[in-house]
Amino acid sequence: MSRRRGILLVAALLAYPFVDRALGLQTVHAVSDGMIYVLLALGLNIVVGYAGLLDLGYAAFFAIGAYTMGLLNSPVLGSPLYGHAWSFWLCIWVAAAMSALLGVVIGAPTLRVRGDYLAIITLGFGEIIPVAIRNLGDVTIEIGGWRPVERLNLTGGENGVNPVGRPFLPGVPFETDPVPWYFLILVIGVVSLFAMSRLHDSRLGRAWMAIREDETAADCTGVNPISTKLLAFALGASFAGFAGSVYAAKLQAITPGAFEFQVSIMLLCMVVLGGAGSLGGVVLGAMLITVFDRVILSQTTFLVRGLGRAVGMPALAAIDLTLWRWFFFGLGLVLVMLLRPQGLAGRRQRAAPLVDDAEESGAVEAAPPPRVEAIPGWLRERLMAAGDGNAEPVLQVQGLTKRFGGVIALNQVDLVVPRGAIIGLIGPNGAGKTTFFNTVTGLVRPDGGRISFAGASVVGLRPNAIVARGIARTFQSIRLFPHMTVLENVLVGEHCRLGARVAGAVFRPPSVVAEEARARERARALLAFVGLGDKGDDVARNLAYGDQRRLEIARALATEPRLLLLDEPTAGMNPRETETLTDLIGLLRRELALSVLLIEHDMEVVMGISDRITVLDYGTRIAEGTPSEIQRHPRVIEAYLGTGYEQELAAPTAEP
Amino acid sequence: MGGHVGAPHLHMTWWEVLIQQTINGLTRGAVFALIALGYTMVYGIIELINFAHGDVFMLGLFISMAWFTLFGVTKALTGWQLLTVLPLVFGLTMLTTAALNVVIDRVAYRPLRRAPRLAPLITAIGVSFMLENVALLWKGPAPIAYPDVFPSVDILREWFGVDSAILVTTKDVVVVAITLPLMVALHVFVTRTRWGKAMRATAQDRETAQAMGINVERTILITFFVGGALAGAAGLIQGMYYNIGQWWMGYQAGLRAFTAAVLGGIGSMGGAALGGLVIGFLSAWSDQYVSARWTNAIVFSILILVLVFRPRGLMGEASADKV
Repeated sequence: MSRRRGILLVAALLAYPFVDRALGLQTVHAVSDGMIYVLLALGLNIVVGYAGLLDLGYAAFFAIGAYTMGLLNSPVLGSPLYGHAWSFWLCIWVAAAMSALLGVVIGAPTLRVRGDYLAIITLGFGEIIPVAIRNLGDVTIEIGGWRPVERLNLTGGENGVNPVGRPFLPGVPFETDPVPWYFLILVIGVVSLFAMSRLHDSRLGRAWMAIREDETAADCTGVNPISTKLLAFALGASFAGFAGSVYAAKLQAITPGAFEFQVSIMLLCMVVLGGAGSLGGVVLGAMLITVFDRVILSQTTFLVRGLGRAVGMPALAAIDLTLWRWFFFGLGLVLVMLLRPQGLAGRRQRAAPLVDDAEESGAVEAAPPPRVEAIPGWLRERLMAAGDGNAEPVLQVQGLTKRFGGVIALNQVDLVVPRGAIIGLIGPNGAGKTTFFNTVTGLVRPDGGRISFAGASVVGLRPNAIVARGIARTFQSIRLFPHMTVLENVLVGEHCRLGARVAGAVFRPPSVVAEEARARERARALLAFVGLGDKGDDVARNLAYGDQRRLEIARALATEPRLLLLDEPTAGMNPRETETLTDLIGLLRRELALSVLLIEHDMEVVMGISDRITVLDYGTRIAEGTPSEIQRHPRVIEAYLGTGYEQELAAPTAEP
Repeated sequence: MGGHVGAPHLHMTWWEVLIQQTINGLTRGAVFALIALGYTMVYGIIELINFAHGDVFMLGLFISMAWFTLFGVTKALTGWQLLTVLPLVFGLTMLTTAALNVVIDRVAYRPLRRAPRLAPLITAIGVSFMLENVALLWKGPAPIAYPDVFPSVDILREWFGVDSAILVTTKDVVVVAITLPLMVALHVFVTRTRWGKAMRATAQDRETAQAMGINVERTILITFFVGGALAGAAGLIQGMYYNIGQWWMGYQAGLRAFTAAVLGGIGSMGGAALGGLVIGFLSAWSDQYVSARWTNAIVFSILILVLVFRPRGLMGEASADKV
């Protein structure tokens, strides 16, 4: 937004209630109510838009906020806080905290669940909360003849809570005038927007987006999915808590009916219509839907009725379009998802280049060969500091066993990666190579055996914890965060080495500003090193194939690994790209003493670069030795290389 | 609910109450099971929680009512009518809801086959709201009386001369007598026919099924068709048994049936049938022994607990996401 438009917007927002009064429109009440829903939609956007979790029960948090205010600040429920000048200002914070707490309570056990199941779980909670509110208005507990609780009114039941204490500020007429409410909600809204926008552009915002794009890849890049999602859930809930408490105090009455499923869906409509993830879009979507719901439907009804009377059609004259509101909301959801899934304000995704284009461009501007001078200084420093001259192997795997049902994917596999070595892992398709990687990186729990990294066991650790210890990986089928930029992809890799938390992300103290600047500088240096220096702002999915492979390696390097697991890094590359990548791997080992474990089908690559090679077949290690030993090993030739291996080596064919 | 349902009363002993509520649970469960089958089949094949499915059931009730009205049926059918009009209306209702379900898939889900998984779920919610609103405008907000088409006879008293407080009527029997053959027919369809084989193959691995020459889109269409037909049958049974219908009942019943599908193990047809019965019993017992006001909360708690702690349900297979 340009500066001038910004100033105009601020002026309009400030002047609006006075213009309204001067013209006698009396719309401030309705507009303030609408703004509460805008605030709710913004909170839901953190959950749905940022973290990509479909929440169908968000109104439950709204309810908790409102009822916390009601419980603490209403005479009906006998609250001792009621009537004190400071009550409201205290209660909104308690309400936000209670909602956030409920978010954690609901989220902690359920956020492991898959996306669509999670949606249903939130829906379940969204149903349970109003049922509980309805039924807790008259609680009697009877144990035998003893009644510890008799006719306790916890929630006001079906009648709700009425009245609720208003805020108090000296000289401000909250009791009689809607204008102070307007400004109160405006201030809360603007502060919330500010906080959300800063969260979005922080380490935490990147983590949310990474989770949304590809949870497994994020986990393997050092982002803890559970705590990241939980944070989104709790933060989203706390905004609903603010909104709910203000809503209760403004309306002076709350009833369970205001927090039903339909409210959650209306809020979802606002987020989806505007464009999940875009703050401006969500504000726009929320305003459009509120105006549609409160103004357009009723006004159009008048219009159509007038038309019906004029034309003499009784059916039209009696129509009530407000009865159609849920039809229109439903239709809106369907149409937006079908026609413009990114929402009104969302960026239209540029189409990914066709495969042919990618190959062509790869041929035209092949990546420059890696240079020693290009190795980022910071990476050299960090990795050298970590490798404290300890001579023990980086990775020691003993007797690793994994069964899937009746299939033994790994059977008593031993493997050692000495410090600074490149170890090849080969074998026919289905031999268990990727399962081995998945087990070492924590995606799959072994059924037996030991995995020790730098002297400590990593069995049972979550993938992100293993990344933090110093093991990074790439995937056989590239798993970038496709809609994030190239630079952001690398920044997510740095996630586990950065420390900014919510307060830091919002208030940006100098330490956080410096950390963020350093992170970007490091990411750019890494990109330059792998030959993507000029592509930092491109969207990752638009990169050519070979570039995507190298970006994945840059992202892995950003986690400051001491051991790099590469799963078929040259698959699908042309000979030139393969050579560049092989040089890169060699360079990393030579200059940074980085240890590499490599799955590779290209025999030329694996034989040329590996210090030692382990061969798997049907989950069992059938050979281990230097490349020349492996090439002559009878069982390897029989199981994998084939008897015609010598010819094949002469003319290597790309194996999928 | 309707007056013909055996409601426990004060003169019953505790075990008579239990038996009565278990019978109620059985008939409820039969309806849940029929709806749950539609959820589980669609989920099995395209991994979509078809949120609008409960509303197809609700419309099934109203549509069957419209068919009865068209045939001029306003009171209990007798003799030969039970063998002609009733099956005819069943068939027509099932065809109508099946067609409706197929149209919903074509319009709202099919364009999103390759979209992220949450996209069709959102359109499903949208469709659900549209269907409910249509029913609201069609029939109004108040509960609608469904014609009492099936004769209700107190079997124990009238046929066996047993003077019992427990009420078992011909309606209870007919619910089971319709549901059971439908399930057997579905089982035969899925396990013994070409189309059924295509469905099972597509559910296991859509791409491989496609590579093997199975027309995946047609298979999905058949799945929606069969699921919609079962929901229509469930709507008719519900109307016939309780003699009442309301525009929002699909949401409630749909969520309970979805809970049943999840409890049984989503994707598993036997599981859906079992889960339907379990939820039927539990909700009837909860109405009796806790309070009808809390039944929804209890059912949703079961849903949440199963999803969190045993997402494959009672009879489903463990599935792991591929890396």
